[in-house]
Amino acid sequence: MDETVAEYIRRTVLKIPRDEIKTVLQKWDFLSEKQLQTIKFNQIKENISRDVAQLCEENSADIKQAAILDIIYNHIYPNKRVWSVYQMNKTGEETETFDLTVFKKKFKRQLQSALKNVTINFREYEDNAIWIRIAWGTPYTKPNQYKTSYVVYHSQTPYVFISVSVLKSNLPLLRQALVVASNYHDICEMELRSHSLNSLKDIVFKTYSQNFQTYCPRPLQERNVAPESEDLRIIQENRNEKERIQRLNREVFGDGPQPKLEFAQYKLETMFKSNPKMDVLDKKEPFRCLVKFSSPHLLESLKSLAPAGMADAPLSPLLTCIPHKARNYFKIKEKKAFSPGSVVTP
Amino acid sequence: GVFAHLEMLEVQSHEAAVKQVEMEQQEEKLARLKATVQELRLQRDKLQAKVDLQQKGQLCKEGVMLPLAQPSAQAVLEWKIKSVKAMLQVFYLTGISGKLTKRGVCFCISTAYEGTYLDSYFLDLLTEPEVQIYRHSVPVFIPLEQIAKKYLQTDIRRFLSVLSDHLNAYVRRRYQADQLQEHFSDQIEGKLQRNSLCNLLVFNYNVSSKSKTFLFNMRLLYGNLCCSLPTEVIISCTPDAPASVAEMAAAHSDLFRRVALHKAFRSFSSTEERVD
Repeated sequence: MDETVAEYIRRTVLKIPRDEIKTVLQKWDFLSEKQLQTIKFNQIKENISRDVAQLCEENSADIKQAAILDIIYNHIYPNKRVWSVYQMNKTGEETETFDLTVFKKKFKRQLQSALKNVTINFREYEDNAIWIRIAWGTPYTKPNQYKTSYVVYHSQTPYVFISVSVLKSNLPLLRQALVVASNYHDICEMELRSHSLNSLKDIVFKTYSQNFQTYCPRPLQERNVAPESEDLRIIQENRNEKERIQRLNREVFGDGPQPKLEFAQYKLETMFKSNPKMDVLDKKEPFRCLVKFSSPHLLESLKSLAPAGMADAPLSPLLTCIPHKARNYFKIKEKKAFSPGSVVTP
Repeated sequence: GVFAHLEMLEVQSHEAAVKQVEMEQQEEKLARLKATVQELRLQRDKLQAKVDLQQKGQLCKEGVMLPLAQPSAQAVLEWKIKSVKAMLQVFYLTGISGKLTKRGVCFCISTAYEGTYLDSYFLDLLTEPEVQIYRHSVPVFIPLEQIAKKYLQTDIRRFLSVLSDHLNAYVRRRYQADQLQEHFSDQIEGKLQRNSLCNLLVFNYNVSSKSKTFLFNMRLLYGNLCCSLPTEVIISCTPDAPASVAEMAAAHSDLFRRVALHKAFRSFSSTEERVD
């Protein structure tokens, strides 16, 4: 068996947290239950990985098995990568039925005709997600299993999630293969990026909690209800204001958890508005400026700004439109005199 | 210093409190006036009705007064309850309900199958300047834009009805496929290949005949997205299978075109019990 395959498997196992290794190997289903029982999972990871590699050699694992293990690892821990969202377009209304076997065949054929040295592996999941792992080589070298890109595609949707990480020069090939395989005409990158793959899915598939009102809400001011275990010595001075903020927040953000984004970036190309007497710039040029909001969980922190008293409610629509517009990169240009539309441009 | 600041705040809060009280008094006054306006309007309507009645009486050649009795409050209430019940019945039968919002309407389309309510989907529509979809929770693989392009501007009822058909059919196809995987997994060999819309299912399943098991490959294509039964069923068996098995394949093919997937499988297990 190829030694590099065993080494690759060993290194993949090393990435997994020690307590999870057994479950991941079980999901992989390549080593038998008997073999798994021979591994001592409470030793240090270095030794566990060596044991696993040894067993894989006994089973003559090939590159396909190793690739599957890598896909499983990335499926369980997708947040270690940065994912970008791409949107595909097609003209006309032909609804071709999506056949998975045809898709895989077309994708492989298209990619391999452009670049022979690639390893392509697929894995489908219950939620109709198709995971594609591509290991890139060059026209003269074998595929490097450590230089991989991942694609996640849900059939019959126009959105593709790509984590390229290395060798961005191969991106056009990848995009072309996707378009051909899924029967679309072209593909372009959206201004939406995050570590959290599931949050990106929630945003573009619109499965995040949007506050739809199809019933008449009960009035929030129920003055006859006794406050729950409140210290009577504390008097709420700003009750009305607090309730107003809560109501506005609910209208904008909804009740459920927000999709997880790490940043929002605003590129400003607007004129600097200053007191004409303090003319800061000699020339009347747009003042170029980049504003970036970073947070472990940007939307939740925006949601808590007004209740925490740090910002006025309602928040600027530039911040609150992020999930609705499905973007976290914005370019803001000067508002033209006669256009009543939004100033945000793609 | 700090005390001066506190004093200033005290003064401000006092002024704010006074303003608050004034405002509340204004609001009370306004409410009272509005109630008075309402009463006066009612009186005016009553008098207007009387006037109309008299005019009608004069125009009537035979001089017979039309018995136009003012509907009693009881009758009005009963009519209101009846129309609400009828509306609820419409919602229950069609699965489509709606509520007016500040800028338009918000619709909720509920789906159901075999008496079980399944998922609900929402559509927030704006009505000005033209009817458009502001936001929605319809799955991405449902051809919403196409349906909206065809019907949203011209015939909103048709739009809702077509969309409801798509959603219901999708949910029912998905339900059938889920039922198959849940309850008949022992008859299925390998993986069940499906897609987001659940309109193409490919799988292998075991069939026993005369105490021998044969493997059938099944390909179900649901060409009509508004339908939860397949338009095309292709069943193939291994070439060395006896003629009786090939006949069975043909019979199955016919069955799956007419009967829901999980029900068809249910009928297999019951017939097998009978044969053995």
